[in-house]
Amino acid sequence: MDPFFYLVILAGAIAGASTGLLGVYIVGMRMPFIGTCISHAAMAGSIFAVLLGQDPMTGAIAASVLASLSLGANRPHKSRVETNVGLAIIFSLMLGLTFLGIGLIQDARTEVLGLMWGSILFVRKESVVVIAAMAIILIIFTMIFNKELKLLMFSRSIAAATGMHDTFVYCSFLVVCGLILAVNLKTIGGLMIFSLITNPAAAAYQVCRGHRAVVITATLLGAGTAVIGFLISFYLGLPTGACIVIVSTMAFGLAVIYRRLKGILD
Amino acid sequence: MSDSYIELSNITVKRSGRIILNVDNFKAASSGEFINLIGTNGAGKTTLLCVCCGLIKPSTGTVKINGIDLASLGSWQKVDIRKAIGYVPQAAEYNAELPFTVREVAAMGRTSAKPMCAALNREDYEIIDSWLETLELTNQKNQTFRSLSGGERQKVLIARAMAQKPKVLMLDEPGANLDFKWKRRILDCIEKLHQRTAITILLISHDIDFLPHNADRTVLMHDGRILADGKVKEIFESDVFRKVYGCKFKVSDSGGRYTPVF
Repeated sequence: MDPFFYLVILAGAIAGASTGLLGVYIVGMRMPFIGTCISHAAMAGSIFAVLLGQDPMTGAIAASVLASLSLGANRPHKSRVETNVGLAIIFSLMLGLTFLGIGLIQDARTEVLGLMWGSILFVRKESVVVIAAMAIILIIFTMIFNKELKLLMFSRSIAAATGMHDTFVYCSFLVVCGLILAVNLKTIGGLMIFSLITNPAAAAYQVCRGHRAVVITATLLGAGTAVIGFLISFYLGLPTGACIVIVSTMAFGLAVIYRRLKGILD
Repeated sequence: MSDSYIELSNITVKRSGRIILNVDNFKAASSGEFINLIGTNGAGKTTLLCVCCGLIKPSTGTVKINGIDLASLGSWQKVDIRKAIGYVPQAAEYNAELPFTVREVAAMGRTSAKPMCAALNREDYEIIDSWLETLELTNQKNQTFRSLSGGERQKVLIARAMAQKPKVLMLDEPGANLDFKWKRRILDCIEKLHQRTAITILLISHDIDFLPHNADRTVLMHDGRILADGKVKEIFESDVFRKVYGCKFKVSDSGGRYTPVF
């Protein structure tokens, strides 16, 4: 097997693991749409960077951090804009900007559309290093802010009322979230990232007891489903992104069945 | 050091141009005072609570916590001052669907008691476990929070709040959605907590049969105002109470329990 094969597997495993881990907090905070929202911001950012003759990655990172922070600036209690409504508004704006950008770009449309579907098969060594580094940053972040993130997921009201710096932790988390999504955009694509964030975490929440179990299960499931999806697509000659999404959804389905069966057997 | 832990003066809170809270003077002593805040739905009880813990900034007036005016603090310090506040919210305020274990939820009480980013150590878990024991939750500590009944969840949230070692414990409708038996149990639990720890307690309830026996004061709210502040019996038998609730009650004191009698 040629080394390209292992590089793709490595990239898929890292991307799957980091989005799986991120998903634990995103699903726990009940805002799974943040995946599509920020990844479309990243897409819009990279398209406009291309239009301005800049590096697409810089544009993606800048736009997704900006989108994360504007979500962080919304305080649902005060503004009466529920987080998911805020997400929907920013998401549709970003989608609009993305299509505006696509309309403005004349020659490199396929490259831009690649951002939507991702192109894990064309992954380069340098981008694997970048996503690995970002994955490590995410792991360190979740370890350092472990107790704060748990309380934030359980109840932001309790966090705020009892003297936790909830806005600071929430915004820091959103920035990390934006960074992870931006660097993984090219490999797994803006649309697929949504299922990689939501499915492993949702499956883990079905079957696990305790936060640590959820974190470990979602991370492994994320990596596992990405790799299995890639292998299936490779050997059957099917589109990679689609295979990964389907495998990841099946993992969630199995988790639901497992929980039902366990409920019956208990 | 002032002798009132929370002191509100000339507070008004406006929402969309309408005044929803108008309190001239409200104090909670630092020396273990037990205040029972009653009133109909929409009376402003929760708003008052949120003003007390600094979550809602009043349009006018001053809020002092431990003698410090909140307006004089920067936003970072304003957060720090709330570390002394234990809070048991209504069910809509927390996500009960996550598979946290009972012990994990109780451990969240140590979150703001410890510096940011610091991990919990054995000492923290001793505090957590002792509160779980006090509230008779030791057997359930490895179960998930979501598998518990409403009453048991309420006890876990009280354990969580106490693990924080607060100076003031604020409870927002702890008896809501509970049956009579559990209501009594939770009330017992809060009363015992007060006897044991002598912390200041601010209890909100719209249930007139949720009356703590050892409350020092009962405060009656209506339409964003405090209408009466005194002993429970006097308030229930007052004309103001009849105006608010539409009927008058006598409070019978039997078997260490207050029961409103129609």
